[in-house]
Amino acid sequence: MIPPVAPLAAAAAPVKAGAIHLGPLDLLAAAALVALAGALSVALRLGLLPKLAVAALRTVVQLVLLGQVLTWVFGLDSPVVVLLLMLLMAVAAGHAAVGRSSRAFPGILTGAVATLVVTGLATTFAVTTVIIGVDPWYEPQYVVPLLGMVLGNALTGVSLCLDALLESLDLRRDVVEMELAHGATAWEAARAPLTDAVRRGMIPILNSMTVVGIVSLPGMMTGQILQGADPTQAIAYQIVVMFMLAAASALGSIGVAFVAFRRLFTAGHALRADLIRPRGAAREARRRS
Amino acid sequence: MERPPILEVDALSVALGGREVVVGASFALRAGARVALVGPSGGGKSTLLRAAVGLIPAASGAVRFQGAPVTAADWPRVRRRVVLVAQRPALAAGTVRDALAAPFRYKSAGGASLDAARAASLLARLGLDPDRLDDPARHLSEGQQKRLALARALLLDPDALLLDEPTTGLDPAATERVEALLVELGAASGLACAVVTHDRAQADRLAGADVVDLSPHLRGSPP
Repeated sequence: MIPPVAPLAAAAAPVKAGAIHLGPLDLLAAAALVALAGALSVALRLGLLPKLAVAALRTVVQLVLLGQVLTWVFGLDSPVVVLLLMLLMAVAAGHAAVGRSSRAFPGILTGAVATLVVTGLATTFAVTTVIIGVDPWYEPQYVVPLLGMVLGNALTGVSLCLDALLESLDLRRDVVEMELAHGATAWEAARAPLTDAVRRGMIPILNSMTVVGIVSLPGMMTGQILQGADPTQAIAYQIVVMFMLAAASALGSIGVAFVAFRRLFTAGHALRADLIRPRGAAREARRRS
Repeated sequence: MERPPILEVDALSVALGGREVVVGASFALRAGARVALVGPSGGGKSTLLRAAVGLIPAASGAVRFQGAPVTAADWPRVRRRVVLVAQRPALAAGTVRDALAAPFRYKSAGGASLDAARAASLLARLGLDPDRLDDPARHLSEGQQKRLALARALLLDPDALLLDEPTTGLDPAATERVEALLVELGAASGLACAVVTHDRAQADRLAGADVVDLSPHLRGSPP
């Protein structure tokens, strides 16, 4: 077990001098950096100023709100409120995952939300209770930010996997159907599309595990080091986090692939490709195929 | 007592996207028999064949295999006995050999394996080069892929084939080879065929008197 000395969200128990406190003036100075980018956009006529302004404003408003919510939840010390917040996060992640997919089927939202609730809670609590040993088990200072990271990665896995699976079942339905017609069970006929899709869902986390510490310094680790935490502890946490995210991506991809498989194949081993509804560009692709 | 037909499609109705496509269509296939199914193009003949092997759920009616209704879990086994060969072949990536061997890896194969010598002679009978087993299947022309799909179905030793426009796009020589093989297998091993065709002459050549006009049962498939 890793001794919980380096908290993940709020500043506490720094090993060295501790974090340098940021005041409103420091944030204003940071705003000058965005303003510089805006000025460049105007000078070069990139036309990005309105977008940049809105994005900057959103960053501030969303994070301030998040700070309020976290402060409130941290203060309540209520497992029910923590669990509710976690559920809300998972539902939002499910919405986002489905929104990114270029094809849909009836029940896709429920499936994605269910996958992310199970994946998110199982992975997060496995890490906080078994590995870190958080006490009490619902300590929001650990559970909430870890869940956020888990959901961020699981949602990428879920949406990439769904996208790949629905694309191959939509565009190559004839291939799947020919295998079914020649005696394949639904599982046998869907195997290649399913494994390809799960693989596609896992690619981002595999990539980031390969380059971590060489090309990229993970945000959480950077944050901890900035806060004055011992780098070895920050690294120990980061390793746990990377493995946790790998598990989350795998569980999310496999889970949603299974949900889609159950929905799109019948008990009589037939493919219900008619349930797949292309959106946007995918609609064009289907018409051309 | 007379043996029940291999496949019996009884008053089958199919709806696609909430629209009736096939209404109350029936046909039966006995060992060694050939039935030609004719009707307007785009009418829903392909839909009927797919529903006959459970690839589309039927709205009403029944499909019986050897006299018994087919349960959901039975379909892979039944589809191996009554093999649908679609109008357009849709082979997975891989070589000709992969394409022919794939169905033998399925549970419904019951441990049978691909007989390479038999595969080669069957390919030759269909006018395909048996030495090209290791070529990518998708490099074959559409007409060749079509015959490859037929060979793949025949290698499963089915009791019956459901053929959807089996010779559309083939040249006259290849068409003759396919027709001759079906007639020969019908006589030699009792292979039954239901052939969907728009070619009335082919219907007469293959099925003689047993031509079923589906027109009254077809409502047209959605575009």
